[in-house]
Amino acid sequence: MPKTIIDIRNISKVYKMGTQLVHALRDVSVSIEENEYVALMGPSGSGKSTLMNILGCLDTPSTGTYLFNGTNVNELNDNELAEIRNREIGFVFQTFNLLPRASALKNIELPLVYSGIKKYDRLDRAEAALKSVGLEDRMEHKPNELSGGQRQRVAIARALVTSPSIILADEPTGNLDTKTGNDIMKLFQNLWEKGNTIIIVTHEEEIALHAKRIIRLRDGLVETDEINQNQVTFN
Amino acid sequence: MNISESIRMAIASIFTHKLRSFLTLLSVAIGVFAIMGSGSLVSSIDETVETEMANLGENSFKVTRMPSVQTGRGSWRKYNKREKIDYKQYSQLKKNIGEMAYVSVESSQGSMTVKYLEFQTDPDVNLQGTNEVYFNINDRDVPLGRAITEADVEFDRNVAVIGNDIRNKIFKGINPIGKEIKIGNQRFEVIGLLDEKGAILGQSQDNQVIIPISKFNKYYSNWWESLDIKVKAFNKESFVYVLDETIGALRTLRGDKPWEDNSFEIETNESITEQFSGLTGYLSYFGLLAGFFALAAAGVGITNIMLVAIKERTREIGLRKALGARRFWITMQFLVETMTITLIGGLIGIIMGYLMSTILGLALGLTVTIPINWIIISLTVTTFLGLISGLYPAYKAAGLDPIEALRYE
Repeated sequence: MPKTIIDIRNISKVYKMGTQLVHALRDVSVSIEENEYVALMGPSGSGKSTLMNILGCLDTPSTGTYLFNGTNVNELNDNELAEIRNREIGFVFQTFNLLPRASALKNIELPLVYSGIKKYDRLDRAEAALKSVGLEDRMEHKPNELSGGQRQRVAIARALVTSPSIILADEPTGNLDTKTGNDIMKLFQNLWEKGNTIIIVTHEEEIALHAKRIIRLRDGLVETDEINQNQVTFN
Repeated sequence: MNISESIRMAIASIFTHKLRSFLTLLSVAIGVFAIMGSGSLVSSIDETVETEMANLGENSFKVTRMPSVQTGRGSWRKYNKREKIDYKQYSQLKKNIGEMAYVSVESSQGSMTVKYLEFQTDPDVNLQGTNEVYFNINDRDVPLGRAITEADVEFDRNVAVIGNDIRNKIFKGINPIGKEIKIGNQRFEVIGLLDEKGAILGQSQDNQVIIPISKFNKYYSNWWESLDIKVKAFNKESFVYVLDETIGALRTLRGDKPWEDNSFEIETNESITEQFSGLTGYLSYFGLLAGFFALAAAGVGITNIMLVAIKERTREIGLRKALGARRFWITMQFLVETMTITLIGGLIGIIMGYLMSTILGLALGLTVTIPINWIIISLTVTTFLGLISGLYPAYKAAGLDPIEALRYE
């Protein structure tokens, strides 16, 4: 039986905006197993960003429980959350979020720096990660010397370098043209086939169709959560 | 994450914001410059006073109407009431202690012009009236010609020993011995050339002419001017006795009442050094004070600039936190960055301060030293400055919410 990585039970998230209470999430339960390929969909205001932040251990739920690999995330403090993010979660952002003055290699090294890995080890692993996204000839390039697609590959390499339990991508193709976006989605498919667990947050139907499972949110509730019968794959 | 990484990052960010970094560095540099400059200047002065000002030599002391360094308020009025030391007092003193010590008498006028034929010096020559033991007591040689003798003083001869500066100015390439020079209206025969000494505290020791005190008193001295007396005991054993005798004799000669203080000053090497350290103490105190105020202002500026920098780099901080940076690492990063800026500023200030004190020191003829202790003080102060002014911005950066920070535009 596959291992359950994410187990969310009846969580809700309430924000206070001025005097008003905003229910961003109401009683959401989701569980995600190892090597799943999940698309998290929903229009803006549906609560998908909030859910993503909670899944990424950047935020904690107001009520309910979140077990990550069996650890109760609700009970963790700032530094423990940072450690989970560092070791277990690989983030990919819409705007890449690379350090502009650091080379591709240095950017990829960064999470390893924070987990206290020795320098020569870091370099080996960063190079391997860069190779796995097909950018071994761009190691010393700075972000402004790379194309958008290449930057996103560097960001994906950075997410991979710690061998995390999940890769959490927030609109990873949002800033790319269709062709480059497809290349990136192909890369995700590759990673999935190699055994990685991938969660992609998107509002684009086409992107979501690449995933094996689609969870749709609306008004803070899970609307549908089903296997994608029409999965689009690359050869 | 290690320190060298933070330092490299800090230097990179310094170069990204050149103008801002320059202004920050400048503010720190100015403060350190004040501390370092005054500190090392004071060290040089102290060093010089110890090695050169203390030129009285062993077993010697000086008798003057007023102390050579005056710092206290209102002291001038007290000293000014004192009667001058005149030639009669000198002669009597010499009679009393002449068998145990050399006694020289000295009086001088600055701003004299010396002429030889159509050549003349600038009006800046120091004319020194004295007696035959001057050369011994002040440790000056006469390598060419001869020195002033007792007879020259006694018979009031028109003879002069000139310094090297004078020779260079008006006797270019000719032997000055036997030539006749004119100082004011008086003519003198050059009988000797003084050895070269260079400058002490900016004053050339070679730009002078020495003539018999008898001549000097007659033509170049004003009636109110006091003489200086220098005494050198023949040996160490008699020094204290000579000192006591001198004080006793002068008190009697000058009519000091038993309940009154001495109406003159006795200065030894130690007492001159002491007086100077009082003066340099003030100087270093004010330098330090000015430096600390400048650095306090710089500290506020640095805190402000780091807060702006953190605002600008909110997304970067958010990213670092998302990638797993603990609070500690974010705090460290910005602290190290602030400290790197202040330390670079400090180093610039140290170099500037050192250069300034060296240039000033050389111009003043001081013994220039490398003031290690002031370098250490400056570095310590700038390190703490970076720590203190960087603490709040770093703490704020570490406390940023990663979600908010990542969303920040």
